[in-house]
Formats: sequence, C-alpha cells, structure tokens
Amino acid sequence: MDANLEQKYDLDVVRWFTVMAVVYLVVGAAVGVYIASELAWPALNFDSPYLSFGRLRPLHTNAVIFAFGGCTLMATAFYTVQRTCGVRLWSPRLARFTFWGWNLVILLAVITLPLGLTQSKEYAELEWPIDILIAVVWLAFTINFIMTIARRKTSHIYVSNWFFLGMMVMIVYLHVVNSLAIPVGLFKSYSIFSGVQDAMIQWWWGHNAVGFYLTAGFLGIMYYFVPKQAGRPVYSYRLSVIHFWSLMFGYVWLGAHHLQYTALPDWTGSLGAAVSIAMIIPSWGGAVNGMMTLSGAWDRLRTDYVLRFLIIALAFYAMSTFEGPVMSLKTVNALSHYTDWTIGHVHSGALGWVAGISIGAIYHLMTRLYHTEMYSVRLINLHFWTATIGTVIYIVAMWVSGIMQGLMWRAYDEYGTLAYTFVESVDAMHPYYAMRATGGMIFLFGAVIMLFNVLMTVRKSLAEGSLDRARALPAPA
Amino acid sequence: MNSLSDYFHTDWQAMTVNDWIGTILTVVIFVLMVAAYFLVFRPKNRDRLESMKHIPFDDDDDEGTGARDGRP
Repeated sequence: MDANLEQKYDLDVVRWFTVMAVVYLVVGAAVGVYIASELAWPALNFDSPYLSFGRLRPLHTNAVIFAFGGCTLMATAFYTVQRTCGVRLWSPRLARFTFWGWNLVILLAVITLPLGLTQSKEYAELEWPIDILIAVVWLAFTINFIMTIARRKTSHIYVSNWFFLGMMVMIVYLHVVNSLAIPVGLFKSYSIFSGVQDAMIQWWWGHNAVGFYLTAGFLGIMYYFVPKQAGRPVYSYRLSVIHFWSLMFGYVWLGAHHLQYTALPDWTGSLGAAVSIAMIIPSWGGAVNGMMTLSGAWDRLRTDYVLRFLIIALAFYAMSTFEGPVMSLKTVNALSHYTDWTIGHVHSGALGWVAGISIGAIYHLMTRLYHTEMYSVRLINLHFWTATIGTVIYIVAMWVSGIMQGLMWRAYDEYGTLAYTFVESVDAMHPYYAMRATGGMIFLFGAVIMLFNVLMTVRKSLAEGSLDRARALPAPA
Repeated sequence: MNSLSDYFHTDWQAMTVNDWIGTILTVVIFVLMVAAYFLVFRPKNRDRLESMKHIPFDDDDDEGTGARDGRP
C-alpha cells in the first residue's frame, strides 16, 4: 500500500487532470473522426455552418492538443515534480485554479470555434479574451511548478523537470508574442503583425508549439515514466542533458521551413531546413536513450502492456523526427507542401508519439493515484493494438494520398499545361480519405475502451475504499 | 557563385542592428553548446552526472501498488 503518497503529496489535482485527459482524448478523437468522414463523404456537413470542416477542424486540433495534451502535461508535471523533488506542491490552491481555468478555456473553445469566432491563426485560433485567460492560467501553472522546484529536498533537479520547465517558459513567450493583437470588439481582433512578418511569427509559434509543447513537454513525461515503468534508471543521464540543451537551442530556428517557396526570404527557409536536419541527432539520441533504458529487459515488452505504449511511442518519435526534417528540405517540400503527406506526418507524431506516451503515462498513474490495479489489463492490451493499428492505417493512407496529390498537381502534358485539374486530384483522394477515417475510427474505439477502463478503475477504487484507506493512514514521521 | 569566397562574401556595411543581434546570439549559443558537450562528456563528470538518474527511484513509496501495472 503506497499510503505515504497521499500524506506526502497533493494528488487531488493530478487525479482530476488525469481523468479529464482521457475524457478529452475521446472528445477530440471523435471530432477528428467526424471531420475526416466529412472529407470522404461531404454530405455529413448537413449544410450547417456549425458542422462545416472549417469550423470543426480547429475544434479538433484544440481539443486534442490543448485539452487532452494540456491535461496530460499538467497531470504528469504536477505528479513528477512532487515525486522527484520530494515535496508537496507549492500552492494546492493555485493548482486548483489551474485546473478550473484550463477547463474554462476548453469550454470557451467548444463554444466559440463552431460559431466561427477565430483569429485565423493555426493552433492559435482562440480570440483575444481567451488568449489572455490562457496566459494567466499557464503562468499560474508555471509559477507553481517553479516554486515547487525551489522548495525541493534534492540537490539536483531531475531532467524531466528541465523539459517541463523549458516547455513552460517558451510557451509563455511564444503564446504572448504570437497572440499580440488589436481588439476591435469582444470577439474580433487583428494581429499586430502583417504580411510576411505575420506568417513568420505564426510559424515561429506553430513549429515551436510542436517543439516545446508537443515534444519537450512529452519528453519530460518520457524521462520519468519510462524508467519508472521499466523499473530501471534511464540508459544515459549524460545523453539526456545533451538532448535537453540541443532541443532548447535548436528548435527555435525551425519555423521558417513551413514557409518554403513563399514571400519569405529564401535563406530563412534554407536555414530552417538546415537546422531541422541537425535536429535529427538530438531527437534520435533521446529516442535511443529511452529505448535503451530497456536494455537487458526487452522481455518486459511481451508482458507489460503499459511499457509497450511507452516504447512504441518512442519508435514513432524517432520516425516522425526523421520524416519532418526530410520534408523540410526544399526538393522534398516542393512535392510534399500543401498535401496530405503533412497531415500524415503530423498524425504519426500526434497519434504515435504524443498520444502513445500520454496513454502509457496515464495507465501508470491510474494505479498509483487510485491505489488499486486497473479494472482490466486485457483491455489495455486491446487498446494498445487498436491504437497502433489505427495510427498505422491513418498515416499510410495520408502518405499515399499526399504523394499522389503532389505528383498530380505538378504533372504536365507535352504542351506544358497541367495534366490534371484540381477537382480530379480531389476525386482521386476519396479511397484514401475513407481509409483515413477508418484508421481514425479504430483509434477512437481504443480511446473509448481506455475511458471505460479508467472510469471502471475509479469505480473499483471507490467500491474497495482503497483511496479512502490510503488517505486515512497516518502521515510518516 | 564563382568561388567559395564569393559564396561567403558579407556586406558588413549593410548589417542592421537586428542582423548583429542575431549573429552574436548565434555565435554565443554555438559556444555554449560546445561548452555543454565538453562538460557532459568529460570523463571526470561521468559518475556525478550518471548518479542523478536514480532520483526517480529515491522516493519509492509506491512499491507494491500497481505492481502488475500493464502485466496480465
């Protein structure tokens, strides 16, 4: 019985964020499957502006990135900082404010995005009042994390906290600068940047949201939960230090590779691509470091379903951090840009890496937060296979359709005119869009299984009284 | 580009304040990265750094709970 956990740490907010993360995974994936189905079968729009792809797509991205991803990051950051520093959270009240504030942001996104209220900036669609709320809540999260570290009992700050802290500091900076806007009403504002500068700032934010939020934050999860689940320390701590600093110094340069062949000066795209290629080294170093943690204990993968999630996530991390730099090269980008290949790349990172590492961490947390075993370990295994197969079907469909799109758009006949109309390329995509929707449905099925398993585990804990017993035990001397 | 010197030619007079800030930051970050590699991979620092990897296991109050975790 890990009773001491309840006396030593503040785990209530961790529990709330953990369960809500799973709820938002189902909601975000369901909206994703719906809009993927709309692309395959447009009649699903029902001629309603509120259900149109343009309005629901930002709802999907906000739900999976900020609702599911955000709740996962906040749950794991609040958990690991306490456990690796040996102290309670600096301010439980601020942690509760963070939970309710973040959920309010999500609620406001659910209301405003289908209504078409948007800044039209990718991954930064929410209007200015919500942007201010995001900044306040994120700062509360950051301050609480920093102050907890400041009161630590250990002399050294464990590397997972470095990654979380790097994410927090950079997201404050990126979010505030990219969201600078002049309001002209409660629900309308205009960016203070214009033209190519606006595009550059947008993708400086956009790629660093990937680099610091979806990569650094989830690497923080990896560096704590992979060793803990494997029951052995990380393969090389020195490699983790180099991984951290290379990521921090390198990622901020990459944004311009999203703007190849645009009005941006040519050299900025080249610089973005060059640093992107260089980033393969630390990224693969980190992936190898995580995987080699299992060195000498690979047999665990046969029996430990949670560890499978964590390790397959690292495989997807390695794959997508190789694919991304290759796509940033101008010659490859000429084919891949604006095609579904990009969507496939994003989802190999989002479903394979981000969701995989999150799901593994959440299953690990559930048993420790509720002081009982999972309701069904067999369902974790079923979830693993549905998530993996769904992801592979999705990304393969997008690779094929993306490369086909790129080749069709630039094919010329002997007279120098385009060989295909745009509509013909859209028509050719139909089977792959149906295949993508199917892959998404399989992934969503796994997420629903996870939600059922998590809720039943909470119910089991309540029925057994395991959480109440853990709370009632005397505090350690 | 006729030669390597043409390729690396820089019009220093045309450098703006932003260009200088960017250039200096780039060089400083490069030097800091070299210093980081040196400190991390210096044999003398190996044991001290590697000992930190046990921190997540210093607080093992959860031994015994969730022991099955993902295992059947």
